[in-house]
Amino acid sequence: MTSIGTGYDLSASTYSPDGRIFQVEYANKAVDNSGTAIGLRVKDGVVLAVEKLVHSKLLVPGANRRIQTVDRHIGLASSGLLADGRHLANRARDEAANFRDNYREPAPLKALADRLGLYVQAYTLYSSVRPFGCSAILGSIDKDGPSIYVIEPSGVFYGYHGAAVGKGRQLAKTELEKLKLSELTTREAVFEAARIIHLVHDDAKEKEFELEMSWIGDETNGRHVPVPQDLFEEADRKAKEALENFE
Amino acid sequence: MNMNTIDLDRLKTGEVNLGTSIMAVQFEGGVVVGADSRTTTGSYIANRVTDKLTYIHDRIYCCRSGSAADTQAIADVVHMALQQFTQANGGPPSVHIAATLFESICYANKDALSAGIIIGGWDKEVGPSVYNIPLGGGLFRQPWAIGGSGSTYVYGYCDATYKEGWGRDETIQFVKNTLSLAMSRDGSSGGVIRVAVITEDGVERLFVPGNELPTFWEGLEVLGKPAKPLGVVPMAIEPL
Amino acid sequence: MSAAIHTPTSGFDFSNANRNAFLESKGVKMPKATSTGTTIVGCLFKDGIVLGADTRATAGPIVADKNCEKIHYISESIRCCGAGTAADTEFITALISSNIELHALSTGRKPRVVTAMTMLKQRLFQHQGQIGAALVLGGVDATGAHLFTIHPHGSTDKLPYVTMGSGSLAAMAVFESGWRPNLEREEALQLVVAAISAGIFNDLGSGSNVDACVITATHAEMLRNYVMPNVRVEKERKYGFRQGTTAWTREKVREMIVSEEIRPRAVAPGGEAMDTS
Repeated sequence: MTSIGTGYDLSASTYSPDGRIFQVEYANKAVDNSGTAIGLRVKDGVVLAVEKLVHSKLLVPGANRRIQTVDRHIGLASSGLLADGRHLANRARDEAANFRDNYREPAPLKALADRLGLYVQAYTLYSSVRPFGCSAILGSIDKDGPSIYVIEPSGVFYGYHGAAVGKGRQLAKTELEKLKLSELTTREAVFEAARIIHLVHDDAKEKEFELEMSWIGDETNGRHVPVPQDLFEEADRKAKEALENFE
Repeated sequence: MNMNTIDLDRLKTGEVNLGTSIMAVQFEGGVVVGADSRTTTGSYIANRVTDKLTYIHDRIYCCRSGSAADTQAIADVVHMALQQFTQANGGPPSVHIAATLFESICYANKDALSAGIIIGGWDKEVGPSVYNIPLGGGLFRQPWAIGGSGSTYVYGYCDATYKEGWGRDETIQFVKNTLSLAMSRDGSSGGVIRVAVITEDGVERLFVPGNELPTFWEGLEVLGKPAKPLGVVPMAIEPL
Repeated sequence: MSAAIHTPTSGFDFSNANRNAFLESKGVKMPKATSTGTTIVGCLFKDGIVLGADTRATAGPIVADKNCEKIHYISESIRCCGAGTAADTEFITALISSNIELHALSTGRKPRVVTAMTMLKQRLFQHQGQIGAALVLGGVDATGAHLFTIHPHGSTDKLPYVTMGSGSLAAMAVFESGWRPNLEREEALQLVVAAISAGIFNDLGSGSNVDACVITATHAEMLRNYVMPNVRVEKERKYGFRQGTTAWTREKVREMIVSEEIRPRAVAPGGEAMDTS
């Protein structure tokens, strides 16, 4: 059943006769058209990476970051509408701070994903708002070890070993599946992440992109931080080399 | 700073008081919590078999000292909050989280409350742990903690006796001895000793009746009759 | 602004609390509430609970009521003895009784003693001892027989035998020497009577009669004035003056009933009679 012209797609508070909410599906489309974001949960840490499409050469490098820090130990990579991703990250910061206030300890990622899932879902209930046009990959090391979760525009969230959202998600997932994620170190995962982002980038359609990477591991002392400059450049270089050899 | 004694002026007149000797000690596999059983209103013992060891969660207990009403109310609130927490998070809370909830209540309402609480418990993250929340609402993790009016008499004993690496039975004996000494010196403490041993496997409750408390030097009962009549009568031992 | 001059229709008003505390510290005598000087007790026996109370209510040195009721109804199988400020015990038990009934209706189950206990302690704690109610709560529910004391600040104790009020020391002495597990109904009742009697005879704040209440799984029996050890005996002599003691000089009988005749007024011409249909 198509949605065009039926009127069932005008509001998130109306179901179509076959039980779909088109506004949520459109929100997913906004994610699918955006640059790829991936997350790797490995042996001793988490790596987040995004393919940030640069729409203008006049932009300052490093502007409009799509990986944000939610708490000392939690990172969030978003794909879709950047503004929605930033709003969601802000909400995540509030929730994480709230947990700290209440329990004087860092929030477990599962608890945070749960609260954010509820928040995102609330935007699928009312005609006066639109659902979030973004998916978010949350990564953290908490008391239960490293973990990543993906929150979708519908409000559902799943835990993953490796996650990919955005334009190149299919290819990225295929690549992720080839890896032995539970045996990789965080440092090795940085190289894999850079390689996958470069691999899934489609030169033909989008010329420019910026690679953005962050990690959480023993080397970062459990903190969510950008991958250090030297490691980043090495990974970026090797990714490009691998791509040339591949082609 | 008045850390562990109950300032009697803080109690409202006629308020029920847990004069109290309470204690919690951490050991390799768990925590031993213990308390006397005396509850007083002024000079009257309102309850001589009180259970001051209060269930907070499956592996978390607290020892209450100060106002009975205040500490019961706080324990009830934390008990409820942790049940909600368990439902929301799909698993039991850590001892630290329980202690934090106690602390936020004790600190936020420090002007209205007289409560000195010791929390003991076991969780899968850190194993056994003991937290102390004295009168002002601070929160301190300690290997052992004593509290209540009787505790002042036995700080020296605990400092001199406690050692790391004890097993379950040694720790229980330490708690019984300490509480017995505190109860014998503190008029507001007494009755029986109640003990709970919290480990990964569960909680075991122990009970020492008032006539079976560990005894120390108490004059003739322990020393017996002097072997031969002494020329000089030493203190506290009268010739028969 | 309107909030400042708004007078609530019910509940506590603490606006004069500081002023009164100041006046009291300067030696001004504050009015005293009627207090049930009181001996109240409760004890567990084989099949349930026996509650007991004396029936004296005092206001300072005055006996305000010689036969008041201190065993209050909470539910069919839960009762509550009250000591302390009479008005407070009366109203808090009535309030909790009402809430317990609503709770039973909404859950479709018989109310539990712990539920009543929790409601009472939370209400008392909320008011930080300002509600002067010292209670003995007892009853039988699906989980068995339970007996609690509740102090005015909201602390509770669960014990097999309890006493409260000014006569609690006398009554406790009786329990401490006479109570043992698994008493028969009659033994327990006699022990409660002895405990209350100890209060009546040895405590100035307690007196008059013994009320008792026996609660078992099947039914509750309120034994109002179960023992009356202080019945006023018939006076042996009459102290009234005989008729004619006072001399009189004249007699006059007056008609005390004033009567008058009322006739309905004639309706004016053209005017209409009132429509009374």
